[in-house]
Amino acid sequence: MKNSFSLMAGRLLIAAFGVILVAGSAGSLAFADETIPEGFKKGELAPLPAAEMIEAGKRVYFTKCVWCHGVDGAGDGPSADRLWPRPRNFNQGTFKIRRTASGELPLFDAKKPTPGQNDLFETLTHGLPGSAMPSWEGILTEEQRLQVLSFVTTQLVKDRKFDDKQSEAQTVLQLDDLKPVAATEESVKRGAELVVEKKCVECHGMEGRGDGNAFNLKDDWGFSIQPADWHKCWNFRGSRQDPYNVKNIFRTFSTGVNGTPMPSFADNSTVEERWHIANFVNSLCEREASGKPLPIDPLTDKPKINFVVSSGVVEGEIPVDPEHELWTNRARRYVAMGGQITHKPRNFVNRIDDIWVKSLYNDKHVVFMFQWDDRTKSVASEKLPWAPTEVNIAVKEQEPKTGEEGSIATRQNNYAVYNDAIAMQTAVKWKELPAPIKPRYLFGSNEQFPVDIVKWEADGSLRAFEGTGWDKDFAERDTYEENIKILHSEWNNGRWTVMIQRPLGNKKDQDYDEDTFFEMGQYIPTVFFAWDGHNGDAGRKMAVSAFYYTFLEPPTPREAYIYPVVIAFGVVLLEGWVLTRRSNKRKGKTL
Amino acid sequence: MKAFMSVVALIGAMGILLLAGMILEIVPSNTVRLVEGYMPMQILFELSLFVAGFTGLSYVLGTMGMPIPRFWQAIAFWSFILLYLKFRVYPPIPFSVRAMYGTVSLVAVFMWVSANEEDWKKFKQPIMNILDAQTGANKMLRYGYLVLLPILIGGFSYNSMVPKSEEPIELRTVHPAPPASTKVHGKTYTLQTSQNPFRVNAEGKYDQEYSNANIVEQGMGRLMKPNANPWDKDAQGYLKYVREGGEIFFQNCHFCHGDNLNGRGLHAFAFNPIPANFTDPGTIAQLQESFIFWRIAKGGIGLPNEGFPWASVMPPWEQHLTVDEIWKVILFEYWHTGYYPRTWD
Repeated sequence: MKNSFSLMAGRLLIAAFGVILVAGSAGSLAFADETIPEGFKKGELAPLPAAEMIEAGKRVYFTKCVWCHGVDGAGDGPSADRLWPRPRNFNQGTFKIRRTASGELPLFDAKKPTPGQNDLFETLTHGLPGSAMPSWEGILTEEQRLQVLSFVTTQLVKDRKFDDKQSEAQTVLQLDDLKPVAATEESVKRGAELVVEKKCVECHGMEGRGDGNAFNLKDDWGFSIQPADWHKCWNFRGSRQDPYNVKNIFRTFSTGVNGTPMPSFADNSTVEERWHIANFVNSLCEREASGKPLPIDPLTDKPKINFVVSSGVVEGEIPVDPEHELWTNRARRYVAMGGQITHKPRNFVNRIDDIWVKSLYNDKHVVFMFQWDDRTKSVASEKLPWAPTEVNIAVKEQEPKTGEEGSIATRQNNYAVYNDAIAMQTAVKWKELPAPIKPRYLFGSNEQFPVDIVKWEADGSLRAFEGTGWDKDFAERDTYEENIKILHSEWNNGRWTVMIQRPLGNKKDQDYDEDTFFEMGQYIPTVFFAWDGHNGDAGRKMAVSAFYYTFLEPPTPREAYIYPVVIAFGVVLLEGWVLTRRSNKRKGKTL
Repeated sequence: MKAFMSVVALIGAMGILLLAGMILEIVPSNTVRLVEGYMPMQILFELSLFVAGFTGLSYVLGTMGMPIPRFWQAIAFWSFILLYLKFRVYPPIPFSVRAMYGTVSLVAVFMWVSANEEDWKKFKQPIMNILDAQTGANKMLRYGYLVLLPILIGGFSYNSMVPKSEEPIELRTVHPAPPASTKVHGKTYTLQTSQNPFRVNAEGKYDQEYSNANIVEQGMGRLMKPNANPWDKDAQGYLKYVREGGEIFFQNCHFCHGDNLNGRGLHAFAFNPIPANFTDPGTIAQLQESFIFWRIAKGGIGLPNEGFPWASVMPPWEQHLTVDEIWKVILFEYWHTGYYPRTWD
């Protein structure tokens, strides 16, 4: 009885939702004339915020925002010249992430911080991942966020008026009423066809890594801009801290990104087509082998990090083909990369922000497979003007305050092109260092405890160096280079795959003082470096990781199969003893 | 009494519901924030609240004629603590620490159930019942246990013998002992006597009270005082230098320490240890300005061994900034977080 009642309630609920849905779509049908694209509805302009709100917002702005967005909101604060993308210039009223039709002002109502009805409030709450704009939730109260937006929209947006009925209109995407199409195989497949049909791939690249037409795109202010890499949904500006939610992609695709070459596709695609595309784009985002989304760290809004890169044991030869079963079944590790901003020349904008590492080993060698997204394949056209061992090279770092002319954003894609490269650094005499002491992450600490650096460059070279300090030139290790090998290196549709083989070390014919000994079952401190040649990366201008550990997984020892059985048997005996004792006691006998 | 106990019981029931929500990921575990620096006190407070709640709950259930046997009370309470530690506490604590707390609370639970002879008897009654297997159900249970226990224990031991890789735990000293003096750009600064030359009033005289009166307000948002805007064109002395310090901060430091000085900058996610959070009352609020001066000038590379100089990406800022610029950045950091620097007196 109880069951059938709850079943009935459930059905009623579903029916109720159905009615609402039908009503919603009927409503949009009724409105649909030529000017309103499918899935949108006419909205009302919100009234301007009260004067007190604006005044209070000024105080918030000059405490928190002015440092990037500047005194006049022109996106030219002190930080601007070293950021890419540059902070938003508010003056023109151009905002990227909106539910309103292309070109229109975003939704903002100082009295309504309702999710789904207030674009600017949501941007402030969730930040713009992949840029320097943080989430302000938990830092500013709801009230303060509304106040500062009141100030920005009325005082700093200068070319447009949020309540001007003559020139402004609001056509709002009914995102909450539209029912997503389930992400079935057919839907994803249809989406894959549509992104070619709609020419998405021209900018976003054949595999969606943002590598198509990557050099020529400019935003409204003339700065270079990159198409999004669909494989890193946590970097989507509009991900609203919920990167695997297909609705965010649907919204961006429907409304476009104002101020950038990304148009709205609302006029030339149906709602259903848009869901297919959104499903396809969402399906490309990196996932675990099981198909589950990567766990996202709520403190950083990036995938969670595990600092152990474990290497699997292989009997016999390690396969050279990255598509070999042993490689495809191998778990990969996400290695986060930050700019090298410790020593000059500092890399304030690193275009490589993560690499994926897999590793296998046998009795002689250990192989590392690095895969990372790089929109541009960069190979220096001429011989580099410095020796490979040189560390203090003549690459200048960005001046702090140059105005737009000399800013990093302007210089993008105008750098001299050097080689793409990747390197791994391991401690040489790590066994002599009492844990957790290690040589310094940046090219080692001194001659006593040097590091072993193996560097691959896109010109096809693989070199081994000894590093003895951040500003000391590398020492070349000629004999070692004969023992290391590139198994595979390929740039394909915005992704590098590089496989490097190196000896396990500490064999009789190798020099323990120079080479890292990869010992099974031990944690070997490892750091990764990456260079993007089109970003002008060379020498210390590069991306760096934190300290990771390489761990050669020992094969399961035979004892692991024997002892548990013995222990289980012991437990059975113990049980017998307890039971006999108890029953004897009850019968009045004592042992 | 009964009414009071019902209220207490309500707390207990709510606690269980909340935890269940957190385990099923319906309620995010940071709904009620654990305040940095006060986390242990807060956890102890919450747990004692729950203990009271559960006392009430068992009392109310008892008066309603549905008492929970002592045996199940003990097991339920212990598993509650384990689940609480795993799912409530955010950021998560490592397994080894949880295991320690788990053992301690197990001992506590045992002390509770064996407080007197009668309690202990009540506690072991269900175990004895199963050992004796007087009823059919108990017999089934006994056979179940007889088979399950060896399998489980065997499985656990296999699991612990299979090689695994867990990141080694490394404990670092966050505020290492400073040296007596530090040499920056050719000049020696004694940490005990050095003062920030830009902590001055409008007339240009060193004035701690003046600067303390003009820092941002504590409380949500940490906003500036209405009449102390460093971006004011007429700002003089302290406030003018705060702005200059802020400019340097936002050209150099925010990449790691973040736009809100909370250690969550653009590059922060890639680094370990994570950049210092200046809004935490445990960082710059605990330190003298001269200590910060030494840390900024020498960076990670200048840390003593217990501070993990090899892992820190903190630049030795003397390579990038002048002495004046360093002092101005310090001024800005205290202004923006609303903390007073510690002084020697």
